[in-house]
Amino acid sequence: MAAKRILVVDDELGITRGIMMNLEGAGEYEVRTENKARDTLTAARDFRPDLILLDVMMPEMDGGDVASELRDDPVLKDIPIVFLTAAISIEETGGHEKVSGPMVYLAKPVVTSELTKCIERHLRQQSPS
Amino acid sequence: MPTDDPDGAASHSADQPQSRWNDMMAFLGSWSKAWITAASFQLVVVVGIIDVITGYEVSVSLFYLLPVSLSTWFAGRAAGASVAAFSTVVWLAADLVRRPHYHHPLTPLWNALIMGLWFAVVVTLLDILKWTHANLEATVLQRTGKLRNEIEGRCRVEDQLTQTNADLRVIRQQLQESLDDLRKSHAELQHTQLQLIEAAKMESIGRMAAGIAHEVKNPLMTLSLGADYLFERGSTRHDEVELLKDMKDAVQRASGIINLLMDYSKPRPLQLVNEDVNSIIESSLELMRHQLIKHNVSVVRKLQVSLPPLLLDQRRMQHVFLNLFTNAVQAMSGGGTLTVRSRAEADATSEAPGGGTAGGAGRVFVEVEDTGPGVPQEHIASLFEPFFTTKGPGEETGLGLSIVQRLVTIHGGSIAVGNCPEGGARFVLTFNYRTKG
Repeated sequence: MAAKRILVVDDELGITRGIMMNLEGAGEYEVRTENKARDTLTAARDFRPDLILLDVMMPEMDGGDVASELRDDPVLKDIPIVFLTAAISIEETGGHEKVSGPMVYLAKPVVTSELTKCIERHLRQQSPS
Repeated sequence: MPTDDPDGAASHSADQPQSRWNDMMAFLGSWSKAWITAASFQLVVVVGIIDVITGYEVSVSLFYLLPVSLSTWFAGRAAGASVAAFSTVVWLAADLVRRPHYHHPLTPLWNALIMGLWFAVVVTLLDILKWTHANLEATVLQRTGKLRNEIEGRCRVEDQLTQTNADLRVIRQQLQESLDDLRKSHAELQHTQLQLIEAAKMESIGRMAAGIAHEVKNPLMTLSLGADYLFERGSTRHDEVELLKDMKDAVQRASGIINLLMDYSKPRPLQLVNEDVNSIIESSLELMRHQLIKHNVSVVRKLQVSLPPLLLDQRRMQHVFLNLFTNAVQAMSGGGTLTVRSRAEADATSEAPGGGTAGGAGRVFVEVEDTGPGVPQEHIASLFEPFFTTKGPGEETGLGLSIVQRLVTIHGGSIAVGNCPEGGARFVLTFNYRTKG
């Protein structure tokens, strides 16, 4: 089975690197990281990810605007996005991701096991077969 | 008027002659002066005839006084004087008719002069008496009029005073109502001011929490992910594995504190439903069961059955009780007794709270007591302040009781802390209830 491609967008280098090392270490994911919000669209077009992990609060451009650009792109619009945010607490998410309409949020700091579960769940929803 | 009262009866009988006399005087008074005078002249003639018939009797002479007096009293001084003159003449005529043997021929004239003077004196005295009587009556009438006026004046003043008193009562009532309104407004103003202060405090804590959350959670996540990676694939040495576990625990604890701060400053809407507070207490005690056993704490429940239902967010109230029970357990380090009481009190104007079916309003009290050392007096005022703690750094955030107070307050309740007389801390939660009849 081909490794699932995950694009991680966060201005914190430590976070993108940590996520990449943990996910790629599991052997089931191919991860690309992007630390500049403005370059997300280019990176996504180039990488064609199966899922995007997107930080909400970033300098220059916040996660919501990046998600809008992705949704406006005919090729990228169906890629599931999971937002990573420090603005909500784990208490609010009940320990898991929080779904608000089409948006899915994970409260920082998220542990790898929870992150992996969330990715798997949304990848399964994306390709039910 | 007939009466059983002996005094009244005596007074009644005494009044009768007086009444008859007055009637007679009124009857005579109603005659015209001319008639009285004429009658008096006729009476003089009659007395004169009697005088002649009876011979010289001094007693008969006295009867001349009757017409003289009548005419003087009822017809006036002039009429009296003329009747007196006529009486003198008649008396002289009668005297001459009787022809008594006087020593001197002028004696009858002398006697008539004396008699005339006597009549004149009577007329004068009666006139003076009548004048005095009239003056006296006028004075009495004047004084009676004055008294009546005075009484009427006093009655008017009394009426005015009564009216003024009633007006003053109305004004006093209005003032009292205004005062009550002012007090109510003042209390509302104070409450609003406290809410504004609280909101401002929450806003600043919220801003701080959001800043901290963003600045701290990102490095925490880096640490967490690094620890995860090393834990899964890095070291196999036992001490290194334990160290990584400690790192992950530290990250979670730091994250928990920030989450607590965020939850404290960012209130979410309550999920209010009618709840039996006893069942929330029981479920919270059940969740605490292992901790209570572990710390050798026994529980005494004094929960009033059939408490009126309260509009509560079950999850948040459970948070409140868990926090209070945990505090109690921590206060009784060597074990002890945790007592939980609940009771309802109906308002004085309301029906008794005997069960949820009865309509009415009142308050539900929940008391949580421990047998620990109690709260030092100097800490009582600050106990619910955010970040107030008596424990060492890293042991407690100091937000627990502050959150408890906030949760109770947003349910419309209040919380107070004190010490039991026999020792130990006592938290008293008060909630208002209103049930439909």
